[in-house]
Amino acid sequence: MSKAISRRDFLKVSGAVGAAGLLAACGGSSNTGSTATSTAASSAAASVAGLSSDPVTLTMSWWGGESRHNAYQEAIKAFSAEHSTITVNPTFAAWSGWEDTMSTKFAGGVAEDVCQINWNWLYNYSKSGQTFIDLNSVSDYLDLTQWDEAKLAACNVANAQQCVPVSMTGRIFYWNKTTFDKAGISFPTTLDELMAAGKTFQEKLGDDYYPLHLGAYDRMILMVFYLESKYGKDWADPTTSTLNYDADQIAEGIDFIKSLVDGHVIMSLPTYYGSNGDNAAHQSTEWITGKLAGCFEWDSSATKYADALDEENKAGFTVGEEIKFGDYNGGFSKVSMGLAITKTCEHPAEAATLINFLLNEEKGASIMGSECGIPASKAGLAAAQAAGAVKELVAEANGKVMAFVSNQLDPLFESNDLKATGTGIYQEVFDTLDYDNASGADLVDTLLDGMESVGYSV
Amino acid sequence: MKESKAPSLGRTPAQKFFDKWQGLFYLIPWIIGFVVFKAIPFGQSLYYSFTDMDFFNGIHQYGIMNYVDAFTTPKITKALITTFKYSFITVPLKLVFALFIAYILNFKIACVNVFRTVYYIPSILGGSVAIAVLWKAVFRDDGLVNTLIRMLTFGHFQGPSWLSDPGYALWIICFLRIWQFGSAMVLFLAALKGVPADLYEAATIDGAGKWKQFFSITVPMITPIIFYNLVTQICQAFQEFNGPFIITNGGPRGSTTLISILVYNYAFKSNQMGMASALAWIMFVIVCILTIIAFTSQKKWVYYSDER
Repeated sequence: MSKAISRRDFLKVSGAVGAAGLLAACGGSSNTGSTATSTAASSAAASVAGLSSDPVTLTMSWWGGESRHNAYQEAIKAFSAEHSTITVNPTFAAWSGWEDTMSTKFAGGVAEDVCQINWNWLYNYSKSGQTFIDLNSVSDYLDLTQWDEAKLAACNVANAQQCVPVSMTGRIFYWNKTTFDKAGISFPTTLDELMAAGKTFQEKLGDDYYPLHLGAYDRMILMVFYLESKYGKDWADPTTSTLNYDADQIAEGIDFIKSLVDGHVIMSLPTYYGSNGDNAAHQSTEWITGKLAGCFEWDSSATKYADALDEENKAGFTVGEEIKFGDYNGGFSKVSMGLAITKTCEHPAEAATLINFLLNEEKGASIMGSECGIPASKAGLAAAQAAGAVKELVAEANGKVMAFVSNQLDPLFESNDLKATGTGIYQEVFDTLDYDNASGADLVDTLLDGMESVGYSV
Repeated sequence: MKESKAPSLGRTPAQKFFDKWQGLFYLIPWIIGFVVFKAIPFGQSLYYSFTDMDFFNGIHQYGIMNYVDAFTTPKITKALITTFKYSFITVPLKLVFALFIAYILNFKIACVNVFRTVYYIPSILGGSVAIAVLWKAVFRDDGLVNTLIRMLTFGHFQGPSWLSDPGYALWIICFLRIWQFGSAMVLFLAALKGVPADLYEAATIDGAGKWKQFFSITVPMITPIIFYNLVTQICQAFQEFNGPFIITNGGPRGSTTLISILVYNYAFKSNQMGMASALAWIMFVIVCILTIIAFTSQKKWVYYSDER
């Protein structure tokens, strides 16, 4: 039997198949990864086999900039030279989109054996210890005594030592001396001086020069810094995530940020987006050319921001002083990042040996230097310092931060739903502040609702 | 399945079996791919859409809560409206533009093949990440477009903030899609070439002008391709992701947040696979309804020359 297909039939069929095929992709693929992960994992946590004499291949992932990529790769090369049976295959990229990628890998049970992780990932992706092994089970290969108890405790979640801290970090001001010299003023050390700098920049250098730049998340951190400085208490309880501030105080904090915009201290977000979209500040032309003459960034980011400056401005990059906005020292320090072993790792002893090499052993630590911040491991810090591998800028920034900050951070503060670029509540609040010329009182409910939705008690 | 017409005389049972099923045999790789990568995820996503499936917390609740939330959460309803706006702007404009260029390129003009290639290039490159990044650079405050505006107005006028003004950002994203008209244009071009020349000759003899010929001969004769392009473009427009994700990341202030971006955010930023699946299914149903409307309406406006 034969029947010619009419053009109408062909179009009908191809249209329908096309529609179905195209839309099938929308459904996405997922799995109940936690189940698979936890099954594979309990065996690894219970008992760890010793080092294998057979060839072993490990995978490792991290995010960072060019210099960190180079340091890790060089250290891995040195590790493989010492451990000829262990091969390490690295995966690395910039931060943008990295958490989305890694969370999907964790859920699917396909993450690398050794992962550089953010501190809050322990709470977001391994709250019950389902993703990372307890490093106490590999303490024969990883010398945990090199970390202070308090630093280790910060990474102990679900009664398991899920990662070891690579470094501790906090926020500090960085200034561009070249631009400040053009404006004829010195770096601000008080709120009044900061506000005066905004005015001076506008008058002497023009509307497109600002003494400080803050993205949406930076604004949230500075707002918390301001409130902590004024009221002398943590933003939220570090263990229960109960918010310590009431609506009026938070509104006051938001209004403080608004006063910085109104005073020409920081660029409004719409103006920044117009030129740079959601690119990070160090990638913006304004930062590179010195029009944005300051930032409030992690101490471990010093070299990233310094290196981004053009030749005229590079020499002027300076670590500033923390500003006391009230009677107390504001600001917090936190575990900058950690190294963890996933439960799907088939060779945890070798993975622990790798971490030990990178963070504790002389050779590894001296190569890593301060690329991930000032080493939190005592042996690692000593090795890096002895090798002259700790960058002065980073050391200076870290020293100033640790000497000043007095508050603790709760793990929910960095939840993706709050801080994500483009979609997070912090951005929604500070976008609305600038776009709608809103006030703190207008926005406090948006912030509190968002915080409540991720688990804060408000 | 249609039986093979190969001579069966003297063939072994195995050969006969192969003759009968060989078509299916050749299709096995595609079928496996379709089942594994399309059909199973398709079914799974429907199941998840009725749960509170979370990557890291599993499933604790079943019901229609995601669908209720989808139509009561302002962020989602806004994204739905934006997706409709985006589709209703881009699909007609892209079709009109593609038909217009195809019509011009159907004339016998010098270097026509070069023009056809040049106009098709955006379709090859347009959906890529690189072009989205380029678009971002072109429309930034001090980008190419505003620089041109400043030059043409001798510095008197500074163009708008295309990417940071919610009033403009969606249009910039739409423009990127419309610019990728090449594939629709090629189909129109093929259809235009299939219109019998004698129809135009007869119309010319009867005194019909070019416009009359275009609307009374050309357009009716190519309605099957218009219909095909319409359906496929609707499907693609509702799934647009790359452009708004890379150029504006859904901003400013959610003005370019399409449903596809919310699906991504719920799935991979918030790990709420249940909600992400529900949104994907809502989008699927919307596209199905629009497709059904298009198929139903074709009896009134699509002309098939093989119909009697």
